[in-house]
Amino acid sequence: MNTSTAGRFVGQSVKRLEDPRLLTGRGRYVDDVMQPGTLHCAFLRSDVARGRIARLDVAAARELEGVFAVLTAADLNPHAGTMQPTLLLTIAGAPLRPLADGDVRFVGEPIVLVVADDRYVAEDALELVDIEIDAEHAVIVPDDALRADAPLVHPELTSNLGLEMAFPVPPELQALLDGGAPNIVRRTFRQHRHTNVPMETRGIVADYDPASGELHTWMSTQNPHEAKQAIARIAGIPAHRVRVQAQDVGGGFGQKFFTQREELTVALAARRLGRTLKWIEDRRENLIASNHARADVGECAFAIDDDGRLLGTYLDHLEDAGAFPVGATGGAGPLVGLLFTGPYKSPLAAFRTRAAWTNTCARGAYRGPWMFETVAREQMVDAAAREIGMDPLEWRRRNVIGRDDLPYTLPTGMTLEHVSPAETLEQAAALVDYDGFRAEQQRALAEGRLLGIGLGLYVEPSTGMMDPMGTETAVVRVNPNGQVTVALGTCSHGQGIETTMAQVVAEELGIDLDDVRIVQGDSAVTAFGRGTGGSGTAVIAGNACRDACAIVRAKAVHIAAHLMEASPDDLEIVDARISVRGTPTRAVAWHEVARIAHLETARLPEGAAVGLEGTATFKAPPFSWSNACHACTVEVDRATGQVEILRYVVSEDCGVMINPMIVEGQIAGGVVQGIGGTLYEHFVYDDDGNPLTTTFMDYLVPTTTEVPVIEYGHVETPSATPGGHKGMGEGGAIGSPPAVFNAVADALALVGATIDRTPLTPDTLLAALDAFDAAPA
Amino acid sequence: MKPAPFEYHAPATVAEACALLAEYGDEAKPLAGGQSLVPMLALRLARFEHLVDLNRMPELAGVERDDGTLVVRGATRQRVLERDAQVAEAAPLLAAATPLIGHFQIRNRGTVGGSLAHADPASEYPAVAVALGAELELASAAGTRRVSADEFFVGTWMTAARDDELLVAARFPVWSGPCGFAIEEVARRHGDFALAGVACALASGRAGLALFGVGSTPVRVAAAEDALLAGAPADEVAAIVVDAIDPPADVHASSATRARIARHLVARAVMRAKEQHAAG
Amino acid sequence: MLPVEMTVNGRRQRALLDARKTLADFLREDCELTGTHLGCEHGVCGACTVLLDGDAVRSCLLFAVQADGANVTTVEGIGGPDGALSPVQDAFRQEHGLQCGFCTPGFVVSVTALLRENPKPSEDEIREALSGNLCRCTGYQGIVRAVEKAAGS
Repeated sequence: MNTSTAGRFVGQSVKRLEDPRLLTGRGRYVDDVMQPGTLHCAFLRSDVARGRIARLDVAAARELEGVFAVLTAADLNPHAGTMQPTLLLTIAGAPLRPLADGDVRFVGEPIVLVVADDRYVAEDALELVDIEIDAEHAVIVPDDALRADAPLVHPELTSNLGLEMAFPVPPELQALLDGGAPNIVRRTFRQHRHTNVPMETRGIVADYDPASGELHTWMSTQNPHEAKQAIARIAGIPAHRVRVQAQDVGGGFGQKFFTQREELTVALAARRLGRTLKWIEDRRENLIASNHARADVGECAFAIDDDGRLLGTYLDHLEDAGAFPVGATGGAGPLVGLLFTGPYKSPLAAFRTRAAWTNTCARGAYRGPWMFETVAREQMVDAAAREIGMDPLEWRRRNVIGRDDLPYTLPTGMTLEHVSPAETLEQAAALVDYDGFRAEQQRALAEGRLLGIGLGLYVEPSTGMMDPMGTETAVVRVNPNGQVTVALGTCSHGQGIETTMAQVVAEELGIDLDDVRIVQGDSAVTAFGRGTGGSGTAVIAGNACRDACAIVRAKAVHIAAHLMEASPDDLEIVDARISVRGTPTRAVAWHEVARIAHLETARLPEGAAVGLEGTATFKAPPFSWSNACHACTVEVDRATGQVEILRYVVSEDCGVMINPMIVEGQIAGGVVQGIGGTLYEHFVYDDDGNPLTTTFMDYLVPTTTEVPVIEYGHVETPSATPGGHKGMGEGGAIGSPPAVFNAVADALALVGATIDRTPLTPDTLLAALDAFDAAPA
Repeated sequence: MKPAPFEYHAPATVAEACALLAEYGDEAKPLAGGQSLVPMLALRLARFEHLVDLNRMPELAGVERDDGTLVVRGATRQRVLERDAQVAEAAPLLAAATPLIGHFQIRNRGTVGGSLAHADPASEYPAVAVALGAELELASAAGTRRVSADEFFVGTWMTAARDDELLVAARFPVWSGPCGFAIEEVARRHGDFALAGVACALASGRAGLALFGVGSTPVRVAAAEDALLAGAPADEVAAIVVDAIDPPADVHASSATRARIARHLVARAVMRAKEQHAAG
Repeated sequence: MLPVEMTVNGRRQRALLDARKTLADFLREDCELTGTHLGCEHGVCGACTVLLDGDAVRSCLLFAVQADGANVTTVEGIGGPDGALSPVQDAFRQEHGLQCGFCTPGFVVSVTALLRENPKPSEDEIREALSGNLCRCTGYQGIVRAVEKAAGS
């Protein structure tokens, strides 16, 4: 899988350096960290969505043999600093507290922290806590939360509206929507609540030493530097005395980007107790109380001319923020509105976005937190196309932003460039044989079978605009024997950073891949960085590495030039040798230069510093864009309402790929999460806010038998950043839900049935088919 | 997610096990494969003061042919039924049902007796037992008795077995002559509990049709079996079944969806059983 | 507390344990073999899969005392003592069958058991057999390819 720009390493599907330890069970995840003197934690959690704590007596729990401490809000909360993440320190959000204090606001909210010899005993102690909660009426869905008579989720605030932002409707757009446009299509789409489900749950080991005043933690995190700052703040410890480490992290998909309530509470408790505390979340807790996502509603309007061209759009978006959103309150909402027109030309657009508090689990970041813009838009495109009697592919062809339209400024202000939505659209259509499928669809229909095809076209921002997310620093350090250690503030959790960044460094320095080692996931030995998330590693960490390597290379060449009495401009580094271009026999080995730089410093050129290292910081442009087109074909079983995915194709443009194998792996994981999030996964509450899907028996994650072989095509439009890379880690999960939805909608449309919400379960699809059958002729 | 404490017993004989159950009554629970029980213990949805491990009793495992009966001892692993030639020959419906149960790791530990005694209404073995007309053999300190499958399953996770009784064997009659067998199910994902399923057995003069997932126990519809024996078309048999069931609803499917799927599956199963039967 | 003795990856392991301690926790804590992972503790995800007398089982659904006298193989016992990857492990690496690695031990053990019993499975057989192991990172693409590759070799 080599691209046209493949170098020795960059562009190659190099096998991953992290694999051997992970394959042999030698990975080191947070639960594998076993420190002497560790005590184990368990949280007692609310089983009521909203209510007052009428009685709380922990005496019996404290008495249980093996229990070290039982902490309540009275013990911890007064000692807690802020729990807001760095990004939101100046923004007042939901009044977060370590432990529930006097009242509870969602099922799963932590109330008591038990610390014991082991988790078994800790859970025994939970059962001995005497607690009574007077249940009060809870609001479970945003529509109810925003009613005038709705009880307040947060009594400290004045309403359940967490955020409201509007992009005003220009008069021309208003006129179009008021009837001026030849075609006005309106639809409401609902995406349902589901959640990240990393295979490794959250966890922390927090070791506080009162004598030194230092807190050493290990965490399942995507962002050790953010964790360090957050822990320092809540625990009241100067940040330089806090260390956060993570060697291996079992997935996150956004859940572990910010440091959440439980981890912060355990760190605070470790500080207060002066002990080493370990908390490993169990799966039920992870499903109920970590974070949820994707609960959005969008009322959409498209104004379209007689040729099917988009004249303007309006989106009214409402998102469910839960009770204590992680990281941001409806932080994705504005981006949903700003990106709604996506890869299509539209002169006009406006939107309103709101986020409502509800007595449910926190909304948190999940792979493309803003992706509802693609869900709503792509599903709207298909609905609009069908309404005006046009094939959805044809509609897209007429409206997609083409190469000649670039740079294209969206009606809401951001500018797209270096993107290729039109090219990916064509590549995906060709790969899936769109026209051939249409013929097959008709043949199947004649036999009474319902087949459908759906597209999902999108542009994906990897944002650099929010400090500190736009910056990464790389320290490239050459050892006296020539091998290289690279320290990065990243924290890989599946995307192979140990390999991809080593590829970049080996390529830039001209040395062997085996001689490069990436060090990450440790706030003490890496420079302050952005962590790993938001599709930023390739661009931001990659270019920080590139810039640091440039410094090292220049130094090495300077030394070599001096040693060989040659001009630095005449030298090149090839296969770990610095040689005169055109005269390869005049050369000095890389490892020799490194040795001299450290151990024979008298031979260095005048003024040259001892050693061989470089540090560089790269700040990303506010936005860089990748894009892709997903195409999905399905069969809907009319008898059972089940959906079988027949083929799944992705045409991806993420610029220059560092490792095509890893890129495709990222796409695949996202696609299958999208399939899960459209057909199977659903976090369900009853009307009183009690969770009904609390284990893997009820919350259904896709397995090998629910997914097809995914086929890939690649388009390569380099970004403007050095190296030409673009972030793409989230994209697979962005294009897939609408592609699957559109395929099912396309199948149902054959018999006049319609859908407007997910998940597409047998219940939903049989009801949709029935509704068609029941409709008057 | 750790279980509450319990006393552990690992008897070596059925008699010892029964003595323990007699002594501890409803404070004791037999532990067979553990694939259903242990998750409930881990989630603390259930707890028992005593667990009686049934996995160290050689007399409780094995399959043998006893004339016209296939005798499957209670602690026989489900995987054995997938591979045993005797089972394939004497009770094809049992062999066909087994791969539908969960996943191979579950079947490596899960037992036939455990599945029957657990009596999940959406599981396969109880329906197969009912369709084939099996008998369940129960042992206690007071002796042994046999209960027909029809009478054994009384409700969701409830059987006719007393607290002090152990399911020591399931006795499946071997259907002779030209036969047709079919098992059909629909689940949200492969290996999940069925939204609806049907086990169908057909011989000349005998029919067994038992649905799972559509009630609190396996559901037999006598009128449907009569129609099947009388040669009614598959669709008609299915229609009779659907009129007689009132399936439960949960997060996975509504009652109507389950009924709809049941109808579809009954028609399919009946068609396949009839074809096989006709082919002799 | 009950005495327990079993062989794990060829070495004898002994301990005094509470009856309720799961085999998974015993392996991780008492044997200090942390390669076996806990993804759900209710028998669905398969991350805790080990071989018990050669059979792939969910170690979170067994109490350690139940494995007394048994022969257990964990992921640490699949490859060579010098860190050499088994054919299954190597195939996973070649085909990018892992990303975060958390589900990987369960897959490696399950696939090893699968191929011992069915050396040349079809794609459908592979998918069906592995439907009891969950992965969130790979979308199963590299995993299925890895099994096909290991079966082919």
